[in-house]
Amino acid sequence: MTQLKEKLLSSFIAFEDQKDIDSYVHGIRTKAIKTFEKEGFPTKKLENWKYTSLKKTLNYDYKLFPSETKALEFKDIKKYLIDDVESYKIIFVDGKYSSHLSETTHDGMDICILSSALNQSKYDLLIENYFDKISKKDGITSLNTAFSSEGSFIHIPKNVQVDKPIQVIYFSTGKNESVFYQPRNLIIVGENSQVEIIERHQSLSENSVLVNSVSEIYCNVRSEVKHYKIQNDKTNASLIDNTFVSQERNSDYSLHTFSLGGELTRNNLSIIQNGERIESTINGITIIGSNQHVDHNTLIHHKKPNCNSYQDYKGIFGDNSVGVFNGQVMVEKEAQKTNAFQANNNVLTSDKATINTKPQLEIFADDVKCSHGCTVGQLDQNALFYLRSRGIPEKEATALMMYGFANKVLGSVGITQVKTRINQIIAKKLGVKIGFDI
Amino acid sequence: MLEIKNLHAKVEEKDILKGINLEIKPGEIHAIMGPNGSGKSTLASVITGKEEYEMTDGQIIFENENLEDISPEERAHKGIFMSFQYPIEIPGVTTTNFIKTAINETRKAQGEKEMSAKDMLQKLREKCDLLDIDQKFLSRSINDGFSGGEKKRNEIFQMAMLEPKLAILDETDSGLDIDALKIVANGVNKLKSKDNAVLVITHYQRLLDHIVPDFVHVLFDGKIVKSGGKELAFELEEKGYDWIKEEIKS
Amino acid sequence: MSKYTEDDLKKELETKEYEYGFYTDIESDTLPVGLNEEIIIAISKKKEEPEWMTEWRLDAFKKWQEMSEPEWANVKYEKPDLQKISYYSAPSNKPKYNSLDEVDPELLETFKKLGISVDEQKKLAGVAVDVVIDSVSVATSFKDTLKEKGIIFCSMNEAIKEHPELVKKYIGTVIPKTDNYYAALNSAVFSDGSFCYIPKGVKCPMELSTYFRINEAGTGQFERTLVVADKGSYVSYLEGCSAPSRNENQLHAAVVELIALDDAEIKYSTVQNWFPGDSDGNGGVFNFVTKRGLCENNAKISWTQVETGSAVTWKYPSCVLKGKNSVGEFYSIAVTNNFQQADTGTKMIHLGENTKSTIISKGISAGKSQNSYRGLVQISPRAKNSRNFSQCDSLLIGNECGAHTFPYIETKNKSAQIEHEATTSKIGEDQIFYCNQRGIDTEKAIALIVNGFSKEVLNKLPMEFAVEAQKLLEISLEGSVG
Repeated sequence: MTQLKEKLLSSFIAFEDQKDIDSYVHGIRTKAIKTFEKEGFPTKKLENWKYTSLKKTLNYDYKLFPSETKALEFKDIKKYLIDDVESYKIIFVDGKYSSHLSETTHDGMDICILSSALNQSKYDLLIENYFDKISKKDGITSLNTAFSSEGSFIHIPKNVQVDKPIQVIYFSTGKNESVFYQPRNLIIVGENSQVEIIERHQSLSENSVLVNSVSEIYCNVRSEVKHYKIQNDKTNASLIDNTFVSQERNSDYSLHTFSLGGELTRNNLSIIQNGERIESTINGITIIGSNQHVDHNTLIHHKKPNCNSYQDYKGIFGDNSVGVFNGQVMVEKEAQKTNAFQANNNVLTSDKATINTKPQLEIFADDVKCSHGCTVGQLDQNALFYLRSRGIPEKEATALMMYGFANKVLGSVGITQVKTRINQIIAKKLGVKIGFDI
Repeated sequence: MLEIKNLHAKVEEKDILKGINLEIKPGEIHAIMGPNGSGKSTLASVITGKEEYEMTDGQIIFENENLEDISPEERAHKGIFMSFQYPIEIPGVTTTNFIKTAINETRKAQGEKEMSAKDMLQKLREKCDLLDIDQKFLSRSINDGFSGGEKKRNEIFQMAMLEPKLAILDETDSGLDIDALKIVANGVNKLKSKDNAVLVITHYQRLLDHIVPDFVHVLFDGKIVKSGGKELAFELEEKGYDWIKEEIKS
Repeated sequence: MSKYTEDDLKKELETKEYEYGFYTDIESDTLPVGLNEEIIIAISKKKEEPEWMTEWRLDAFKKWQEMSEPEWANVKYEKPDLQKISYYSAPSNKPKYNSLDEVDPELLETFKKLGISVDEQKKLAGVAVDVVIDSVSVATSFKDTLKEKGIIFCSMNEAIKEHPELVKKYIGTVIPKTDNYYAALNSAVFSDGSFCYIPKGVKCPMELSTYFRINEAGTGQFERTLVVADKGSYVSYLEGCSAPSRNENQLHAAVVELIALDDAEIKYSTVQNWFPGDSDGNGGVFNFVTKRGLCENNAKISWTQVETGSAVTWKYPSCVLKGKNSVGEFYSIAVTNNFQQADTGTKMIHLGENTKSTIISKGISAGKSQNSYRGLVQISPRAKNSRNFSQCDSLLIGNECGAHTFPYIETKNKSAQIEHEATTSKIGEDQIFYCNQRGIDTEKAIALIVNGFSKEVLNKLPMEFAVEAQKLLEISLEGSVG
């Protein structure tokens, strides 16, 4: 851990050397590396990291900039795309933008890459107004900020309904080395605009991969953003996903996180409601086994009156896996007439699996409706017997019930093809061939 | 008993009642009818002293006393009762406890002693019988999880227990099937005497088949535009409210 | 028209004097302020303790010195200067009394003011009362009746002398000396408390009760309670607390250990009404209490608490469900008003198979207070078929207070079934008006609604306590409206 930290600190100078040191971002990066130096990596001593240790994950000898990259063809990545729907694609391979696999646009909006936004003066104002404005200044986020140079840049101006979903996918191919990436996304959605984004990190490598991703998402007045995170990486890949969302009045942000793979996955999600009549919906399905570890750390911050938030996280944990849900809802004094609902339901399918859940409500306003419910249990044995007595084999019956358990969350997915894909992944995960109808 | 003079009232800056005059004498049954939004429920709320309703002009005199500046509970102590259109749920507070508190607070305000447990129990039983209410119902939290019909019946049950001088029935018929309606009406009729009065507020005439009014008033746009005997209710039922509107225009 | 407005209510609330805020003039025997080994030895000596107890205290003190005050709770306060407290204050009218008749009449007057006429309670409810004033047990009534059944109910001090084998065997077994900062402090300096032992198979025929009261200024209260229910026995234990109003903060750091052996049951009820501070947030008791019970096979421990007092409360009555089929329960009402802060809840540690726990927590916040529920449900890998149900409801009165819920659930067994629910609500204006229309004034209406809200917990209290608790709720909250 200390070793990696030292390595990161000493690499920073070399990294910054290649950049324009007069740029606005240079100052931010320099400040960020200092924060990281001070804060370091999070440890279990921090209340928010009580149940997740990065010790093992940080113990690999990561390269910070991959020395070799493999050229990928469309056929290599096809199965990781939602390929049966028209979409914009921003594809990165080993931290570098891959133009021949991507499909971007500057036609009436910018669906492109962060490096070009950082390097072109016409974007200066946007960068100054939005870059690193809502991200948390903790160690792990600051680390990303210090090394932020590439990622997706999505800027949708006023009154635009983006015609097709945007897929943002990061691949890593590193053959003989472990790599630590710091991708950075900046998404600005203008007034009254609508967009759908699908995000994924995928390792194609046999070696350990650690991704520390930061996304800043701005939802302006009356905008609507539908966001999907598909986390189904190899078991040698870990992800720390830091997503910061800032919403203005009447905006609607929804996120579905499907955590179905990876070694260690930590989702830090923070949503701040800055205006009235905002809707925020965050849903998750987590199905893991072996020694996998998934930690959802969410915050919904209600600052203004008449807003709603809905959270629904379902988890199924097998083998030696560990699940964590730490969901915080904060309602400020001014935020009267807030409706905040939070549900976290878990099923353990193995005696060695663990679930730690901590749904928190912090309420400073009196005229609110807030509730949370959380359950831990196993599948209903009577129902299982019922299915089997109807001729459904145990494995399929179990799968069907697990599917039924998670189904409510899938039901709210807007893109049919995403729904189908998640269904397939879940079926595969549960080792069954049956198709699940929705 | 009740005298309303040139009553004007507004809620949230919107004028609802625009000059109502009404007099109710002991032993009378009055019905106020009118289309939705005419101000019927507002009138009930103003008489009972609901805070959000601001009286901007006029007077409400009850038993020779001006009700201005008198709190809702004091009005209740003086004998004004309203059967709510939407009775409120209070989880964890049993119907018995609620009624007991209401009765004893009223008695306290009138300088009387609390009712003894024995008398209370007897009265509860008696009124349950009157309104065909299962006594188990008394131990349930007030209105919590009650059906629409149960809530309305509970309102009349409370009225029976509290024995008000003036009972205002705000849309008591809504949500009741015909059998429940008959029970409720029957209860009201049995409680009726020459000393008390009833103000029925309703959109439809059907309740008035069972609680027969001495006077019918038509409320329209915050004013009583027509008054008459019970036959006026039939006329309204037959012709709807449109002819009244026509009549006002001409 | 005039109306009893929210502002009126608030004003009245603020000016509401602490009902039990009076000071009894009893001569006291107080040790000098400060904390060091000499003081601890002096306490032990004053109490004529055997050497092993002195050593036990000194060991705790040594460990305590290496510990630091916990900061994780959702409360803010100026840490008490532990060197400015006197660790021993006993009414000097010694020696001990054999019956209540011998008790200082002024003291008895104190009880009357407390609204807990001991005489009356004795007659009506058959409650045996142990009274601890400023850390010293002054009277234990009904001793003879209990003796017949073999029940030991006496002051801790007496137990150490008379029943050293029992005390030695159980003290510190559920709450180790080093459990936490305040438990360690208590272990070093505890001055008295109650001890209770119910022999095998005995159902204690009456409620046992202790009243705690801090009287002397500048003293801390560190009482220690130990209840042991031997196999197949049953006891219901009541605890009441109060303190006079003072400008400075007073410290109360008690330790309560419960041990329920196989098939035994302990019901422990608390009505806590320490002085909460005045309406500006001055004074009040810091209530940092460690309470924990251990359940062996088929045993049951039930904690019920009504918390209305204290400036700062930090308290988590817990159950270690060690034995098979054991049951833990926690029923709590916590009311905060003015500047009070409460961080309270429970821990249910499921170790044995088929263990069950239930948590019902009702938090009511008014004024500028902060009220937090903090709870842990932990299911160990061995705790097959364990069940937990938790329900945490918060009621907010006014817009300057806060209600917080921090439940921790840690499960390592697939057969566990856990359900946790939490809601937050306010008293509706329509509810108040409905009551008003029936002739119930706003104050009474709030009392009615709060009682309804708290009912599931109030129902768990022994009858005579429930009445007192209801009164306390009314006093603490009179007339707040949302």
